[in-house]
Amino acid sequence: MATHMAKTQASKNARRARRTKSLVSRILAHVALTISSLLIAFPFFWMITRALMSAEELNAYRFRLIPQVMQWSNFREFWEAEPLFGRYFVNSAIMAAGVTVLQLVVACLAAYAFTSIKFPGRGILFFVVISTLMIPVVVTYVPSYIILARLKWLDTFKGLIIPSAVSAFGIFLFRQGFSSIPRELFDAAKIDGAGHLRMLSQVVLPLSKPILVTFIIFDVVGYYNSYFWPLLITSSPNMRVLTIGLTIFFIEKGYYGIRWHLIMAANAAAILPLILLFVIAQRWFVEGVATTGLKG
Amino acid sequence: MTIRSNHGPVSRPGTDAKASPAGQRRAPALGSQRIRDWITGYLFILPAFISLAVWWLYPLVYSVYLGFTEWDFMSPQKKWVWLENYVKIFTHREFRRVLWNTAYFSVGTVVLGLLGGLILALLLNRKIRGLPIYRALMFSPWITPTVAAALVWLWIYNRDMGIFNAILSLFGVGRIDWIGSGQGLFRMWAMPSVIIFSVWKTVGYNMVYFLAGLTTIPTELYEAAEIDGAGSWAKFRSVTWPLLSPMTFFLFVVSTIGTFNAFDQFRVLTRGGPGDATRTMVYYLYQNAFEFFDVGYGSAVAIVLFTLILLLTLLQFRASRSWVHYG
Repeated sequence: MATHMAKTQASKNARRARRTKSLVSRILAHVALTISSLLIAFPFFWMITRALMSAEELNAYRFRLIPQVMQWSNFREFWEAEPLFGRYFVNSAIMAAGVTVLQLVVACLAAYAFTSIKFPGRGILFFVVISTLMIPVVVTYVPSYIILARLKWLDTFKGLIIPSAVSAFGIFLFRQGFSSIPRELFDAAKIDGAGHLRMLSQVVLPLSKPILVTFIIFDVVGYYNSYFWPLLITSSPNMRVLTIGLTIFFIEKGYYGIRWHLIMAANAAAILPLILLFVIAQRWFVEGVATTGLKG
Repeated sequence: MTIRSNHGPVSRPGTDAKASPAGQRRAPALGSQRIRDWITGYLFILPAFISLAVWWLYPLVYSVYLGFTEWDFMSPQKKWVWLENYVKIFTHREFRRVLWNTAYFSVGTVVLGLLGGLILALLLNRKIRGLPIYRALMFSPWITPTVAAALVWLWIYNRDMGIFNAILSLFGVGRIDWIGSGQGLFRMWAMPSVIIFSVWKTVGYNMVYFLAGLTTIPTELYEAAEIDGAGSWAKFRSVTWPLLSPMTFFLFVVSTIGTFNAFDQFRVLTRGGPGDATRTMVYYLYQNAFEFFDVGYGSAVAIVLFTLILLLTLLQFRASRSWVHYG
């Protein structure tokens, strides 16, 4: 510090140089960021603007950024071309909600037991849970398919939801979260005579809200977007989820990409709920990343 | 990993109960409370373990069994064929191609995805206006369904209508059949196209993680490095990279596993084609088990995939000792 003081003038110059340097680097950063985020967002922009163009305009003007006349009727047209679209949406919502609720209950109970109840074999059993994280879900698909066939659960909501009942990652995550709750709170609740279920619902869960919300959001998005498993086990049009419906629409009603304006309208409609969720819950996405990432 | 919680009656030393049987008898309430706790504990983990057993552990074991058989989902009998499926896998020429495709896709997507994410995070890691907007735009591909996004990209890549070729035509470059079967030099674009899509899909996600990691680095360390006369690169090498390495490692492992499991984009964009140019292990498994109904062979592929991911992850953890620094 002393040498610093002695060379006041020099350090002033240095600071000024650094300030201009930081201004330049800041401008450069903004330019780079603007370009890259525009590039990343470009497919969305393209999807939405093409969804609002007439087929003729779309084919004739490949570089046109904004439609000359907004063709809101495209959305009506695609909806009429695929009357089951509402059904697909409901199916996806049921699947996402079902899996999320189930995983939440199962993982909370297990994580609570692993943090707050002592029983023989606890360490080994938790190790078993963690080691299943190593199994890629694809490896389970053939046997799970056979189980569903035997249970006559193919092409049902049970088949879509129940095989995903447990999330080892969820148990791991919640155990991390629950174990950061101060023990004194448990002891206080215990003196009040609270049983384990009440302790879980009235002490642990309210204090773990951030991690729960994060898990719920990521789970809902993940299962709303899922494609592979529903592709394997659903067959009737009434059981199609949204992702399947989109590909079927592309092949059947879009004629393999001749009616792009309708395909883009369908895509935009399918993505819209997620965009809304993201706008509302952006904070949780970002915070969730921070908690899951740093602890994982 | 393990938690030693101060749970239960702390005042009761364990030796007490062991030493005098009388003491044990004197406190029957405590003993039964303990047993009741055990039962509650087991009941609480029961749903998780039933699901794990039925939908994860049993399928894994059953896959191993199926891998030794020949079956088509339909016939009443499975034929036990010993190692025939595995011999077929490792002698088939097509499997070598599948393995190469998987490695190509994985390395390309992971390296570019992490590098891009890191660069974006470094750009954003300052007091900058519009951070939430940049972050939201970059993160948005990750929340959209891969299928829906891939359908948009299908069009971007389209040979006749797509925007990529439209832009290239401005520079007089001929039409590239990005994801179709082109000829000559234009043949090789299918896998790079899928990689570009996958990087686009994941780069914002990586960026958000890196940014979370960067914000935990204390600014004093940078100031100290500056006093030592370190330039930007030296600061990155000596402060940022080592302190960010746990996060880099986490993303490295997670994205590698993710690429080995990728299916949706292949299904929508290329269906493993043209020819077998984008047929990865997961797609190969899918085709054999669910298109050709060769259940035994498909299961054997699944076991090979599982083993490969396991070995790779262990290798990554082993190698991490030399470059990951935990604070």
